[in-house]
Amino acid sequence: MKNRASVIGGLAAILFSFFVFVIPFLFIILMSFKDRQQASLRDFSWPNGFHLWDNLVAVVSTRNWMMVTAFVNSTIMTVTSVTLLIVFAAMVGFVLARRNSRWNGPIEFLILAGLMIPPAVVPTIWLLQGLKLFGTLHGMILIQVAYNLPFSIILYRAFIVTIPRELDEAAVIDGARPLDVFFRIILPLLWPVTVTNIVVQSVGIFNDFTNPLYYLPGNQNATVQLTLYNFQSQFNTSYNLLFTNILLITIPPLIVFLFFNRQIVAGMTAGAVKG
Amino acid sequence: MSVATATEATIGHGPVRAGKRETAYPGWFLLPAAVIYAVLFLLPTISSLYFSLTRWTLFDATFIGFENFAQFFREPFLVKGLVNTVIYAVVTSSMKVVLGMALALLLTSRIVARGYLRSVVFFPVLVSTIGVGITFTVLMHPTNGMINEGLALLGVKGPGWLTNPNLALFSVALVDVWKGVGLATVIYIAGLVAIPKDYYEAARIDGATPWQNFWFVTLPLSRPATATVITLSFIGGLRTFDLIWAMTKGGPGFASDTIASVIYKQYQAGFFGLSTAGNVVLFILIAILVVPLTMLLNRKRGHE
Amino acid sequence: MAGLELRQLRKSYGNVEVIKGVDLTIEHGEFVVFVGPSGCGKSTLLRMIAGLEDITGGELRIGGKVMNQVEPRDRSIAMVFQSYALYPHMTVYDNVGFGLKLAKTPTDVRDQKIREAARILQMEHLLDRKPGQLSGGQRQRVAIGRAIVRQPEVFLFDEPLSNLDAALRVDTRMEIAKLHQNLGASMIYVTHDQVEAMVLADKIVVLDGGVVQQVGSPIELYQRPANLFVAGFIGSPKMNLLPVAVEAVSNGKVTVSSKDLAATDVAANASGISPGTTVTLGIRPHALQISSSGTLVGRVAIVERLGNETNVNVELPTGGQLMAVLDGDQPLQIGNGIALGFDPADAVIFDGQGLARHL
Repeated sequence: MKNRASVIGGLAAILFSFFVFVIPFLFIILMSFKDRQQASLRDFSWPNGFHLWDNLVAVVSTRNWMMVTAFVNSTIMTVTSVTLLIVFAAMVGFVLARRNSRWNGPIEFLILAGLMIPPAVVPTIWLLQGLKLFGTLHGMILIQVAYNLPFSIILYRAFIVTIPRELDEAAVIDGARPLDVFFRIILPLLWPVTVTNIVVQSVGIFNDFTNPLYYLPGNQNATVQLTLYNFQSQFNTSYNLLFTNILLITIPPLIVFLFFNRQIVAGMTAGAVKG
Repeated sequence: MSVATATEATIGHGPVRAGKRETAYPGWFLLPAAVIYAVLFLLPTISSLYFSLTRWTLFDATFIGFENFAQFFREPFLVKGLVNTVIYAVVTSSMKVVLGMALALLLTSRIVARGYLRSVVFFPVLVSTIGVGITFTVLMHPTNGMINEGLALLGVKGPGWLTNPNLALFSVALVDVWKGVGLATVIYIAGLVAIPKDYYEAARIDGATPWQNFWFVTLPLSRPATATVITLSFIGGLRTFDLIWAMTKGGPGFASDTIASVIYKQYQAGFFGLSTAGNVVLFILIAILVVPLTMLLNRKRGHE
Repeated sequence: MAGLELRQLRKSYGNVEVIKGVDLTIEHGEFVVFVGPSGCGKSTLLRMIAGLEDITGGELRIGGKVMNQVEPRDRSIAMVFQSYALYPHMTVYDNVGFGLKLAKTPTDVRDQKIREAARILQMEHLLDRKPGQLSGGQRQRVAIGRAIVRQPEVFLFDEPLSNLDAALRVDTRMEIAKLHQNLGASMIYVTHDQVEAMVLADKIVVLDGGVVQQVGSPIELYQRPANLFVAGFIGSPKMNLLPVAVEAVSNGKVTVSSKDLAATDVAANASGISPGTTVTLGIRPHALQISSSGTLVGRVAIVERLGNETNVNVELPTGGQLMAVLDGDQPLQIGNGIALGFDPADAVIFDGQGLARHL
């Protein structure tokens, strides 16, 4: 009885999920296989022939290989800012979890504020210009670090609390200096949260559109999201290329999803269910 | 040496005063993060309070008092943006709560293909918002879009999802829910899995119906998850920009403008003071809506 | 030579003083046990010696040098923690060698020292494992090994046996004693278990409320407790403490009695004790025997038969309780009357301040 109900329910759910969640992705894939003429119909039809390769080449070589530049920029932005985030956030989480100073309250307030308050865009641009960082990848990386620090710190601190303080003390007795304690004892033990941090933050930063839009104008510095946005008007008669582009920038998150599904879910639900 | 070193050092009993010894948790560990955060986030946020009171060209700022704010509440299209922002946040977060809970219940039940379903629901969370926006703009095209073509097969004449001014904002909100419901679902799944089985067994012995089970056990005990989902999606909804920008650019007209898109438009137009005032308005809006909301959601119940 | 000297050592957290002026001298090679109930400050004192807690006041000397401001790594100490605190991500080999690595000891010297420690502790076969793959007893060995390779002047143990099961605890206790004999280093050992303290120590330091109650050899503490606290803490089962009235006082002798006890002469330093006042009479459970002429009469309330001895809880007519440990197996019935006697030479008088009046 129960079994049959779960099978029928499951089939209904699969059917429903197919229409709602799978078809949009199938649509993207089918479109990227079509030629320009067929793609302009924008319907859910089987491609007349295999044009994915041609489309890929066309997308990648457009505007002087802009896509390649964008992928390089996005990669540099993501890798560098995530690296900095991990080291800096773990350091803060460590000190915050271990020391009970009167600064903890204000620091926690600032962390929550960072999660809630929308960044003040124009003053940030003004400041970046003053620092000669506006429109540079360096500036963009630092912005990503600043905006995403609070979340990473919260993840790290919650985990560090579970590492016994006696480990630090044993290391101190063994002659470890603060940097030894942190880099040789604590950071290696944080590996599970670090993986979560890497995955969640790199997906978020790679997909970020708003911040590069404001702080990274200009073609040399375009990121993949900006490029896609700009191609929207450029390709408005070549839907095959537009969707090939979408397909292309969906691949990195897809890879991350396939390998780190569990960590993403763990990271995103962290702190959600304690009560 | 770990705890409150500073206060201990000042007491100094006896002949030897506690001086500076190395701590394993040096304060300077906070420094790199603090500098980046303070310079690139705090400083602009604080200075925005001043610049929102000026006519500003980035090179010089003329103090004009609350003129920008007055304008913000005078111009109908700016007020529209404010109202839209709240509608958008309420619609998306409430739909994510209801659908997220329903999907989580379904996906924690003994249903076939659970793993597949979880993946399919969650995957859109990881995909580029711009990509999703563009895809749905195409799918929602009034005549050529697949959605309306599908509806036509069923004999229904689909609306102009993004072209009808009364509908555009809700269409974008719907896509937002489509993309974000997976996150709400996994948060709820984590919450549901954490509920001890004892409660359901006790309820079963008491003869509870499935509905009573949900109403008296599941719902109250998944409250922390609900609080997280509402807070996250509500803040996200108030700040939303990229999806709206990718799909309607605030159009048709100003029908789907939100504060975030207004901020961008004013910035593009060079009204930097006004744009910054928009930022401050959004900041205040979040503060007055989210702070009471989180307090309400996290309030401990009387009998707990 | 690395003796240890504590001079008026103090520790406060804010306004709360937890160590209230401790004076103590520890000779080189001595095995000293800090014992006391939880919260008495014994662990804090140990951590102050280790350098894990700042010293608020007073002076700590190790080997004659003032150590108040010295980093833990330079105090020539090693510490074994209650939870062992092994680094979970390192092998046993790396755990033991971590301190040497930080001290930039040449690889060959380091290797030799690690293997030597492993040999002493018979854990050569564990060197490639991670702590997660070890049993509690094995982890304990690794923790001790990590201390040994540092070749410290002073070993510090913070309740090292409390995470082991009862049988293993007895074995490990003996091994630590053996280790002390072989290494000849000073050891300071913190425990709340007075049996551990009695068995291991050359010198026991009894702490309560951040104050040293008594320092002495185990037998000294057992036979001549300085005050009511020590009397109650050392010895198992606890010493019986009866409130009694002073009948008469003479030089070196106090005559006491109560409703439960006929007048008895007890040898004591009587100065300042006047007839009519109330004092406390302490009698060890082992000092009580069944005797028809016994001066303590009551009813058997609880009997615990251990085979080699019998623990009897006796209810006195006034409602007081008395614990007696009798030799062999005694055929006692609950509810029956029982008369207990004792040699007054085994009894101790505590004055109104709770101080023992040994002669």
